[in-house]
Amino acid sequence: MMADKTFILRIKRQAAPQERVVWEEFEIRYRPHLNIITCLRDIAEKPITRAGDGTTPISYDANCLEEICGACAMLINGYPRQACSALVDNLEKPIRLEPLTKFPLIRDLQVDRSIMFENLKRMKCWVPIDGTYAIGPGPRMSPEQQQIGYPMARCITCGNCLEICPKVNDHTQFVGAAIINQVRLFNMHPTGNMHARERLEAMMGPGGIQDCDNAMNCVKVCPKSIPLTESNNEINRQVLKHAVWDWLNFSEGPTERDEEWKRLGIQK
Amino acid sequence: MPGTASKPDSSYFWDKLHSLSGIIPIGAFLAEHFWSNSYVLVSPERYNSTAAGLEQIPWRIPVEFLFIWLPIVFHGCYGLDIWWRGKANVLGHPWMSNWMYVLQRWTGIVLFAYIIWHVWIERFATHGRSTFAGVAHDFANPYYTAFYVIGVLAASFHLGNGLFNFCCKWGIAVTPRAQRAAGFFGAFVGVIFSVAGLLIVAGFVYNWHPFSGYL
Amino acid sequence: MKEPKIIVVGGGLAGLMATIRVAESGVPVQLFSIVPVKRSHSVCAQGGINAAKNLKGEGDSTWIHFDDTIYGGDFIANQPIVKSMCEAAPAIIDLLDRMGVMFNRTPEGLLDFRRFGGTLYHRTAFAGATTGQQLLYALDEQVRRFESEDKVQKFEGWTFLSAVLDENRICRGICAMDLKTMEVRTFPADAVIFCTGGIGAIFRQTTNSVVCTGTAQSALFQQGAYYANGEFIQVHPTAIPGEDKCRLMSESLRGEGGRVWVPRNAGDTRPARSIPEKERFYFLEEWYPKYGNLVPRDVATRAIYKVVFEEKLSLAGMNAVYLDLTHLPREMLDRKLEGVLEIYQKFVGPDPREEPMKVFPAMHYTMGGLWIDNERQATNIPGIFTAGECEYQYHGANRLGANSLVSCIYGGMVAGPAAVKYARNLEKGCDATPESVFYAEASRQREANDSLLNQQGFENPITIWKELGAWMTEHVTVVRVNANLQKTLAKLDELDDRFSRVNLADRTQWSNQTLQFTRELGNMLILARVITLGALARNETRGAHFKPEFPERDDKNWLKTTKASYNGGKIKLEYEPVDISLLPPRSRKY
Ligand SMILES: Cc1cc2nc3c(=O)[nH]c(=O)nc-3n(C[C@H](O)[C@H](O)[C@H](O)COP(=O)(O)OP(=O)(O)OC[C@H]3O[C@@H](n4cnc5c(N)ncnc54)[C@H](O)[C@@H]3O)c2cc1C
Ligand code: HEM
Ligand code: SF4
Ligand code: SF4
Ligand code: FES
Repeated sequence: MMADKTFILRIKRQAAPQERVVWEEFEIRYRPHLNIITCLRDIAEKPITRAGDGTTPISYDANCLEEICGACAMLINGYPRQACSALVDNLEKPIRLEPLTKFPLIRDLQVDRSIMFENLKRMKCWVPIDGTYAIGPGPRMSPEQQQIGYPMARCITCGNCLEICPKVNDHTQFVGAAIINQVRLFNMHPTGNMHARERLEAMMGPGGIQDCDNAMNCVKVCPKSIPLTESNNEINRQVLKHAVWDWLNFSEGPTERDEEWKRLGIQK
Repeated sequence: MPGTASKPDSSYFWDKLHSLSGIIPIGAFLAEHFWSNSYVLVSPERYNSTAAGLEQIPWRIPVEFLFIWLPIVFHGCYGLDIWWRGKANVLGHPWMSNWMYVLQRWTGIVLFAYIIWHVWIERFATHGRSTFAGVAHDFANPYYTAFYVIGVLAASFHLGNGLFNFCCKWGIAVTPRAQRAAGFFGAFVGVIFSVAGLLIVAGFVYNWHPFSGYL
Repeated sequence: MKEPKIIVVGGGLAGLMATIRVAESGVPVQLFSIVPVKRSHSVCAQGGINAAKNLKGEGDSTWIHFDDTIYGGDFIANQPIVKSMCEAAPAIIDLLDRMGVMFNRTPEGLLDFRRFGGTLYHRTAFAGATTGQQLLYALDEQVRRFESEDKVQKFEGWTFLSAVLDENRICRGICAMDLKTMEVRTFPADAVIFCTGGIGAIFRQTTNSVVCTGTAQSALFQQGAYYANGEFIQVHPTAIPGEDKCRLMSESLRGEGGRVWVPRNAGDTRPARSIPEKERFYFLEEWYPKYGNLVPRDVATRAIYKVVFEEKLSLAGMNAVYLDLTHLPREMLDRKLEGVLEIYQKFVGPDPREEPMKVFPAMHYTMGGLWIDNERQATNIPGIFTAGECEYQYHGANRLGANSLVSCIYGGMVAGPAAVKYARNLEKGCDATPESVFYAEASRQREANDSLLNQQGFENPITIWKELGAWMTEHVTVVRVNANLQKTLAKLDELDDRFSRVNLADRTQWSNQTLQFTRELGNMLILARVITLGALARNETRGAHFKPEFPERDDKNWLKTTKASYNGGKIKLEYEPVDISLLPPRSRKY
C-alpha cells in the first residue's frame, strides 16, 4: 500500500496571555474533505509535534461545525475565517494557524470576543417589545423588506470583519462593521426603529461610525456575505441626518423636548 | 455640535469636519489653483496677469488664511492623526480598496511635505509674486520638476479617492451600485486633475502654450 | 420573603425563553452556558418552526397539528401537554414576529409557511433556511436587553458540573466550572432550569454541535433525576456524511419540492443528470404515494436503509442517495433555501442547483431526555426544572420536523414561571441552606478534576470517544438487534474500564479543554448505557425504535414511558403509563 499522504500544519501557540509565543509544527494525515477542526482533533488525539515532542492539545473554540455559530474564527494562512469551513483541499500548504489579533488572547487559537456582545448591548440592538404575552401579530413587512433585512440578520458575530479592519486597533475604540450592520438592521425594523435615535447617538460617540475609513476590507471577509459597506454608508447617512437635524434644532431640539416630556411625566 | 449626555466626545464632529474640509474649501481651492495655473497653457502674459489678478484680491491675507491655510493645516494635522490611528494591513490583503485606503494616507503624507515645500518656494521665496519666468526658472531643476509631478499626481489621487470616500462617508453612495458610481466619479476627477496638472507642468518646463490660438 | 434566586443552565432557545420569562416577572436570573449563548446549538436549525396558523386556506388547526404530532410520535407522548403546546404555537410565532425575526413573507406582508414532513399542511414558518439562528438571535437580543437592565447576569464560558442537593435531596444551587480559569464554584439558587440541549456527541458523527454531549443531563441523572425514553433516537434521512460532523440537509429541501431517488440500475456510474427519468427510482414517492418525500423521518430513514443495504441500489462508490433540487426554480431556491445550499457548496463543492446532492441518514435528535411532570416542566428532584431537547415530553417515539423549536420555546415559557412560583412558595430558600452543603459539593467536584488530572494511564479520551460513537451509531440507531445491543453493552463495559485509565495530555489549570472534554466523556458513557439498555428492553418497533425481531408496535406491553434511574452505579429501568386521554392509539401507516 502507498504511504499515507500528509501535510504540515504550523500553529502559533501561547499557553496563556502572559506566556511565550511558540510555533509548533504537526504532520497530519491527508483525507479528502478534511477541515481545520478535524486536523485539530487529530492533534488532540495524538499531541505530538512533527519533531516528535509531546505537547498539549490545541485550545480553540468551535461548536456548530457548519459555519453558523461563529465560534471558530482564526487566522488561516493569515486570513481571518472560520476553521470549520476551511477545507484543507483548498488551502496552500503548509497551513498556518494563528489566533485573531484584535481580541484578547485566552490560549492558543482561543480569543475573547465578548466586546462584540458588549457593543451590541451598548447600541441597544434589540426590538423593544412590551412583553411575551399573547398580544397579536407583529408589524407587517413586505417581502422586499424581508429580503433586505434577512441577509443583515445572518451575522454570526465571528469578528472576522473586525480583525481585517485597519481601524479596529488599540488606538481607536471602533465598534466595527458587524455592530454598525446590526444598528442598521434594528433601525430598519418598524418597532426596532423606536430606539433609532438612541442608537444613532451612540453611533456618533467614541468608536462610532466616524471611525470607519472606508477601507472596505470587512465586506470581503464576511463569511455570510453581508453587504457591510452598504450598512456602513447607510448608517453614515442616518447619523449625518440625525446630527444635522439635531444641530438645526439646537435651541428647541430634542434635549429640551426630552425635558418637556419629563415635565409632562412621559417616559421616553 | 450639541452635546447630550450620551455623546461624551466630539470626535464625530471633528471627523466630519476633516472630511468636509478636504472638499470644501481645500478641494475647491485645488480646482481653482489648477484653473488659474492652466493659463500658462495660453501664454506667459496671460499667466502673469492672472497671477497678478489673484494678488489683488481684497483682504488677501485674512481670506487666504481663513479659506486656505487654516483648513489645510487642520486637515493635514488631523489627517496625520487619522493615519496614526489606523493599522494598515494591505501587504497581507492586497485588495484594491485596501490599497486605496493606504494610498489615501501615503499621498496625504506626501502632500504634507509637498505643500510645505511648495509654499515655501513659490510664496515666501518669491515674496508672493509668482511670474511665469520665475516658475519656469524653478522648473529648470529636474528635481523640482520631479517633485512637482509627484505632488500633482498625489493631490489628484488624494482628491479623486477622497471624493469617493466622501460620498460613502456622507451616505451619498449607499448601495453597491451607488458605490461603484461614486468610484467612477472619483476616478474621473482624479484623472482629469492629473492630466491638467501634468499639462501645466509641461507648459512651464517646455515653455509650451498650446492654447495660445484660442484667446 | 425576599426575591428568589433563579439559575438557568443553557442558553439555547429553551434557556433563553425561560430566562426572559423569569426576568419579565421581575426575578433576577443567572444564566450559565458553555458557549456564548448566541453560539448555542439552536443556531443550526434550518427548516422552520411549526404553528397551525392556517394562513393558506387549507383548514389547518391546532387539533390537526396535535394529531399529526401524536401520530408521528407513534402514540407514546403524553397527550394533554402536547395539545397545550400545539395550541400555544400560533401565539409563539406572533411573539417571535414581534421580536423582529425576519420570517419570510407573502406578497401581502404576512408570514409565509412551508410544508414539512409528517403533515399534509403548510404549517412551518421559516426565515430563509436559517430559522433556528434567527429565532435564537431574537431571544438573545431580548435577554441582552434584560442584561442591560441588570435583570440577567450571564456566565458564558462556564460549564455546569453538578447540582447542589441538600440532605433532603432538594436542589439548592449548582456547582460550575469557569472554563478559562478552571475555577470550580457553587452558586446558590432556589430553583434551577436546565436547558442543556441534545446528546448527539454520544454518536460522534451527528448533525449536532460540539457541545451537545448531554453532560448536564447525565450529571443530573447520576444525582437522582429520572431519564425517560432514552432509546428513542432520531436519525435524520438526509445529511452530508462527514468525518467531524454530518451536516444536515434540511427537510425543507423536500418541503419545497426536493425529490429523493437512486438509479434503478445498481452500479450506474453515469452523472446524475444524464440518467433518464425512467431509470430513476423515486422510492419514497413510489412506496408512500400520499406523503411522498415528506414521510416522517423514521420512515424515510428506514426506506433509505432498505434501498441502500437490502436492494443494494446505492450511488456508485458510496452509501448515499440523491436529493434532487435541480428541477426547481433558482430564484425560489435562493430566496428560501440559500442557507442550506451554501453549506453543501462550502463543504462538498458542487452547486446543488445544478447537481443532485448526495446524502445519507445521520443521528439528529433525542426524543428522550430528563423526565418531567405533565404540567410544570419539573423533574423529580425538587427545585430542578428543564426545557428543550434535554427533556423527554412532546415528541413521543419520533419528532416531526420543525416541532422541536416550538417545544423548546414552549417548554421555556412554561418552565420560567413554574420555577418562579416554586421558588416563591419555598418555605426555606437557598439562603437557609448550610454553607457546608455547598462546600461539600464544590470539594467533590474539585476532587473529580484532580483525580483526572493526576491519573496516570495511557488511554486517550478522543480514541475512546471515537469508538463509543462508532458502536452507538452502528448498533443503537436505525436498526436494533438484541444481540448487537448486548454486544454494545459489553463494549461499554470495556470503554468504562479504559476510561478509568484515561491519560490527560494537558494537565494545566488554564483553559484546559482536555479536562473539560474528558469529564463530558465520562458522562456520555453513562448516558450511552441508558440509551442502549432502554433499546434492549423495548421489544417492539415504535417510531424511530426499529427492531426487525419485533417488527410490530406492541401497545399491550409497551405503550409506556421508560424511566431510567441511577443508584450506586446501577441503572434501573421502570415504566409508567402514557396519558392517551385525548386520542385513542391507531396504527401508523403513511
Ligand atoms: C442541524 C439541525 C437542524 C435542525 N433543524 C430544526 C428545524 O428546522 N426545526 C426544528 O424544530 N428543530 C430543528 N432541530 C432541532 C433543534 O434545533 C434543537 O432541538 C433545539 O435547537 C434544541 O434547543 P435547546 O434550547 O434545547 O438546546 P441548545 O440550543 O442545544 O442549547 C443548549 C445550551 O446549553 C448549554 N449547555 C449544554 N451543556 C451545558 C453545561 N454542562 N453547562 C452549561 N451550559 C451547557 C449550551 O452552551 C447551550 O447554550 C435541528 C437540529 C439540528 C441538529
Ligand atoms: C496636508 C496634507 C494632507 C494630509 C496629511 C491629508 C490626509 C488625509 C487623510 C488621512 C485622509 C483620509 C481621511 C479619512 O478617510 O477619514 C484625507 C482625506 C481627504 N483629503 Fe486630505 N490630506 C492632506 C491634504 C489634502 C489636500 C491638499 C486635499 C485637496 C485636494 C485633500 C483632500 C482630501 C479629501 C477630499 C479627503 C476625503 C475626505 C473624506 O474622507 O471624506 N487633502 N486626507
Ligand atoms: S469599510 Fe470601515 S469597517 Fe469596513 S474595513 Fe473599512 S474601515 Fe473597517
Ligand atoms: S458581519 Fe460578517 S464578518 Fe462581521 S461578525 Fe458578522 S458574520 Fe462575521
Ligand atoms: S464551528 Fe461554528 S462557525 Fe465554525
